[in-house]
Amino acid sequence: MPVPPEQTTKQQREARRAEKVAALKQKQARDKRMRTFGFIGGGVVVLAVIGLVVAVIAVNSVPKVDPDSIAIEGLKTYSDLPANHVDTAVDYQALYDTTPPAGGNHAPVWLNCGIYTEAVPNENAVHDLEHGAVWVTYDPAKVTGGDLTTLQDKMKSTYMVLSPFEGLPTPVVASAWGNQVQLDGVDDPRLGEFVTKFWKAASAPEPGAPCTGGVDGPGKIA
Amino acid sequence: MVPEKSLSPTDDEPQPADAGRSRVRSAIAVVIVLVLAATAAFAIGRLSAPVSGAPSTLSVEAGFARDMQVHHDQAVELAFIVRDLTDADDVRTLAYDIARTQAQQSGQMYGWLNEWNLPQAEAEPSMTWMTRPPLSGTSAHDHDPNSSAHTPGAPMPGLATAEQITELKSLNGVAAEKDFLTLMIAHHKGGVEMAEALLERSTDRVETAFAKNIVKAQTSEITLMEGMLADRG
Repeated sequence: MPVPPEQTTKQQREARRAEKVAALKQKQARDKRMRTFGFIGGGVVVLAVIGLVVAVIAVNSVPKVDPDSIAIEGLKTYSDLPANHVDTAVDYQALYDTTPPAGGNHAPVWLNCGIYTEAVPNENAVHDLEHGAVWVTYDPAKVTGGDLTTLQDKMKSTYMVLSPFEGLPTPVVASAWGNQVQLDGVDDPRLGEFVTKFWKAASAPEPGAPCTGGVDGPGKIA
Repeated sequence: MVPEKSLSPTDDEPQPADAGRSRVRSAIAVVIVLVLAATAAFAIGRLSAPVSGAPSTLSVEAGFARDMQVHHDQAVELAFIVRDLTDADDVRTLAYDIARTQAQQSGQMYGWLNEWNLPQAEAEPSMTWMTRPPLSGTSAHDHDPNSSAHTPGAPMPGLATAEQITELKSLNGVAAEKDFLTLMIAHHKGGVEMAEALLERSTDRVETAFAKNIVKAQTSEITLMEGMLADRG
């Protein structure tokens, strides 16, 4: 910076000093700004890393499929159903307000699990529910042809019974011991949720007890 | 600008060495903070996960526990069928042994899935876990790679068909014994194949110990059954 000629040497020195002080203050202010930005930026990066790592680990460790946490829309639950063996017919509608049955007293021998094209005896099928099977019933007037094939293809090889049932409230009803859901049709996604939640589930009194070695009903095709 | 020799902190230009040191210090501080943050985050993530370290629903451990239950349950069924069809002590004893052993093992697998908060029902077609690649570095089993090539949803190895079970039920005496032994040899071979497939794909402590026992016990039972079948001509 040009120095006015009338200034003394002392004045010139003071001016240079003032200039240096000003520059220094500017630099300090700049540094301070940079530090502030650094802290903020660093903080953001750290938080982002924390968030990312937490998310990745929490999401990847165990998918949330705990059967207990699956909520099924329209699920009906019946608690404290009796599980006695009886040799007589059981009126499941009158006794437990269920059509089709979803548990209760039943025949001493269980129905062999599988796919049936004719109605099966309720008293034997309920014994399967006690053993952890899922019983899928369909209205034979509403589920036919390709829909029936679709439904049959959705059955598991064991611990499932599929049979027609006259007078169902909806085209398809899925039942497990103490639990039931009325389905809109063969493609209702709640069927899969119901099977995931209740197939061989511990909510049945004897899950894993046999569904073979009992009796066949009429019209067993698989 | 006149350079002034001074130790005063009001020097306008910091010495290059000072600048370098402070940059190194900053870098170290940043690294330490990041490491601490990552460690904390890892701990939080682990603790907030539903069941820390438990196999997921699509894991080979869960797939094995589900499919092997089905496989074992059929062995129990076959054993009970033959006990009603023959008076031969050796076959009845073997069938009793198989039924008790495999029913108990099936229950163990059922319990693991419950303990892992997983559904018993598969999330994908059965046997899909066996189509997944083996862990690298596991001892290579030198069987034909095609022998364990499976299609998701295909029947499990060694599982008897409904027709084969119907046929067994129609027999009795020596014919039933021979049919049972033939079916059960194939069933055990399939079981060993599934257990080996698990061992190639898992490091789970309990499940690999379980699978090793199955390989050993069922291999020796195959030898026993081949001898019993040969005795019957």
